[in-house]
Amino acid sequence: MVVKRSTERTEKEVEYTRLRIPFGPVHPALKEPVLLRISVRGEEIIDVDMTLGHVHRGIESLAEGRNLIQTLYLIERICGICSHSHTTCFIQALEEIGSIIPSERALYLRTLIFEMERIHSHLLLLGVMAYEIGFDTLFMFTWHVREKILDLFEKITGNRIHHAMNTIGGVRWDLTSQMAGEVKAYMREIEKSTKYIHSAFTDGTVEKRICNLGVLDYNDAIKLCVVGPTARGSGVNIDVRKDHPYAAYDELKGDFSVITRKDGDVYARTEVRIFEVFESINIIKAILDRLPNGSIRPEENVFRIMKRIPEGEAVSLVEAPRGELLYFVKTDGKGGLIRLKVRTPTFSNLLSLKRMLVGCEIADIPVIVASIDPCLSCTNRVTIINQEKGKSKVIDMDSLRRMVRRKWMRR
Amino acid sequence: MRALRVGKMLRDTLRSLFRRPVTVEYMTKPGSMVPLPERFRGKLTYDKSACIGCLLCIRVCPGGVITSTEERKASFNISRCIFCGQCVEICPKGAIKMSSQFEVVTYDKNGLLIK
Amino acid sequence: MDAAIAFLISPPAVLLISLLFEGIDRKIHARMQKRIGPPVTQPFYDLIKLFSKERIVPITASARVFETMPMIAAAVSLLGASILLSNILSGSSVIGDLILVMYLLAMSSVALMIGGSASGNPYGVVGFSRKMSMMIAYEIPMFIAIISVAFGSSPSLAINNIIRFQISLGLPLAASRPSMALAAATFLLCMPAAASVVPFDIPEAKTEIIYGFLIEYGGPYLALAKIAKAVSNFALTLLASAVFLYVPLLLGENVLLNLGISLSLCLIESLLIMFVTITVPRTVLARLKIGQAFKFYWMLPLILSISSIILSSVGL
Repeated sequence: MVVKRSTERTEKEVEYTRLRIPFGPVHPALKEPVLLRISVRGEEIIDVDMTLGHVHRGIESLAEGRNLIQTLYLIERICGICSHSHTTCFIQALEEIGSIIPSERALYLRTLIFEMERIHSHLLLLGVMAYEIGFDTLFMFTWHVREKILDLFEKITGNRIHHAMNTIGGVRWDLTSQMAGEVKAYMREIEKSTKYIHSAFTDGTVEKRICNLGVLDYNDAIKLCVVGPTARGSGVNIDVRKDHPYAAYDELKGDFSVITRKDGDVYARTEVRIFEVFESINIIKAILDRLPNGSIRPEENVFRIMKRIPEGEAVSLVEAPRGELLYFVKTDGKGGLIRLKVRTPTFSNLLSLKRMLVGCEIADIPVIVASIDPCLSCTNRVTIINQEKGKSKVIDMDSLRRMVRRKWMRR
Repeated sequence: MRALRVGKMLRDTLRSLFRRPVTVEYMTKPGSMVPLPERFRGKLTYDKSACIGCLLCIRVCPGGVITSTEERKASFNISRCIFCGQCVEICPKGAIKMSSQFEVVTYDKNGLLIK
Repeated sequence: MDAAIAFLISPPAVLLISLLFEGIDRKIHARMQKRIGPPVTQPFYDLIKLFSKERIVPITASARVFETMPMIAAAVSLLGASILLSNILSGSSVIGDLILVMYLLAMSSVALMIGGSASGNPYGVVGFSRKMSMMIAYEIPMFIAIISVAFGSSPSLAINNIIRFQISLGLPLAASRPSMALAAATFLLCMPAAASVVPFDIPEAKTEIIYGFLIEYGGPYLALAKIAKAVSNFALTLLASAVFLYVPLLLGENVLLNLGISLSLCLIESLLIMFVTITVPRTVLARLKIGQAFKFYWMLPLILSISSIILSSVGL
């Protein structure tokens, strides 16, 4: 009895000293809603619980009621930052089903926009990183650099964010020689500015805030299936661009290398992103040097091409700025979709947050959460709505697995 | 070394104190507006006389902007438009164009209907 | 100037000047970041807007404490700054007003802390504990620096006696002796923490704990909290400029006699001090963690202040 009472008391003491802090869904450090229920003792984090589903938009279901061209612009709006990755991935699947081969020039242009998007996304994250540690000036400087890329997007495609570049069998906007010159000039500027940002990130107070934090070692990274810069920051050498080349990456393989860092902390992930910007600049330079001539899209009306796509299914992969993006597309042969499944990189990365956060301080939460570059609008996907009770429930990977297991056990 | 980097930041911020800021005030003066590129996708314009009534635009529009009228012409509800420009591309007669007007704010919803 | 008149015109003058200072600080901060920034009068607009808004008290808060504390904070810091300004204006000296001003300024942040932690929000509690540790970190060196100044000048704890001592010396206090220079350095190093700006804005870090103890405040309460902060920032800069570096005396006798000129010189100097100790750190540095900030204050300013008091006690 005595023993039991004493354990009860310690449990009570633990309960008493533990403070539960909701981090999100609305929080200045989060750009998109996610709820982290964090238990802290003093400043130390002892447990993290995660809830998703605040921005579930039912895009997959919406897509199933539309034709392929309409879906193309719908899925572009899954993510505001990597919109081109989403459309490229979708279009690749369609082209595989319809065995349409885009021209060389179209593939190169797709890759160009892709790499520009990677630069813009990484610069955005670097700025957010600086903002999270209270370094507003670096945030403003970084986003000033990013603004140049957005201007380029506006010049080439007509819009800063939703480029609407891809179309079935090619791309919609051509790159004029004048634009190519501008891109080249801008790339030189961005290279210089990114070097400056890198030197600012090695600054004393910044280093103090992001070194040896949120460590995710190699084995954990493999176990938790993280992708993209999060995995590469932990020393896992994966990159869809090298492993399963798509678009023009097969021919550009020699022009870039995969950046990896061994430390697995926030600084490593940040550094991977900084150096990936340089690699992207190299790729863009190579593209501009070797851009083949030719048409950018089929002569035929896109509506007719869409109608010709047969019934079939395909899986497509691209390396989005945040990591591996996977699409499963099943068409019905009449220009519509039967099933669309999107697996975004943040979905794979988000669970690693728990491993990173436990043991750190409250002050580190925004930095660590930002370091995986969460793009939550892409991630919220499965919602179950009980219409009788009017309750909705979001299923994440874990509970899905649990449910499947329970079902299997019952059998 | 670290102190040097802080010094560098200090130098750059002090320098930008005496330079023109990079941000621009929103459209206060007509001349000071940020120039728009040629391919900019703004508010739709519709040339009714050129329209042949094929209604392809309705079938590709992702936002449900376009509806057909009784005389088999298109009618646009810009408040739903996502400015993808697919209808402009698909139109065989070039009856739909995109202007460089990006402000679609209005007090009257009917002001956003183009017939 | 008559002491009564000086004390009557001080509070509105303090409010006006401190809000203007905040506006200038924000403008310079923006321009250093390559932004256009808000107009200098922006803090006034903010206050007008906030005062015209609805009062909201969360259900979880203990309402009395939550409501009164911002008022106390604003009143106390306004009082402290007014005592400081009116004493400089009138030239009258009250024994111990230096300690009184310091105490009132500290009390203003304590009041805000208590009010915020009474809001029932966990972030308010975290902000409270962080502010508590920060105050232990910076108030001790700051007070030791002030005591060292009191030892070093005549000895006196009255602001005007210290100013007169500087005039009779013909030198600003910070330049007179090594101990005083150390005390001035300590005081200036403690300024960013007392004003709670980056890198020491840990108690109200917006990306971490969403303004900490200010989280539930809105409308008129937030306006009062803002006034309290702006006024105490101004009071600190004015105190530093009057006690450590009374610049008007460098320009000779006839300047000292003209109250207007010497006061405006003093204000310009405090603006400069604000630029160096508040605007520049918050522009070029990143936020520290509580442990790092604590370590910094107990390493550098504490040692500086203790060595200053030792030096001044042996007459250096």
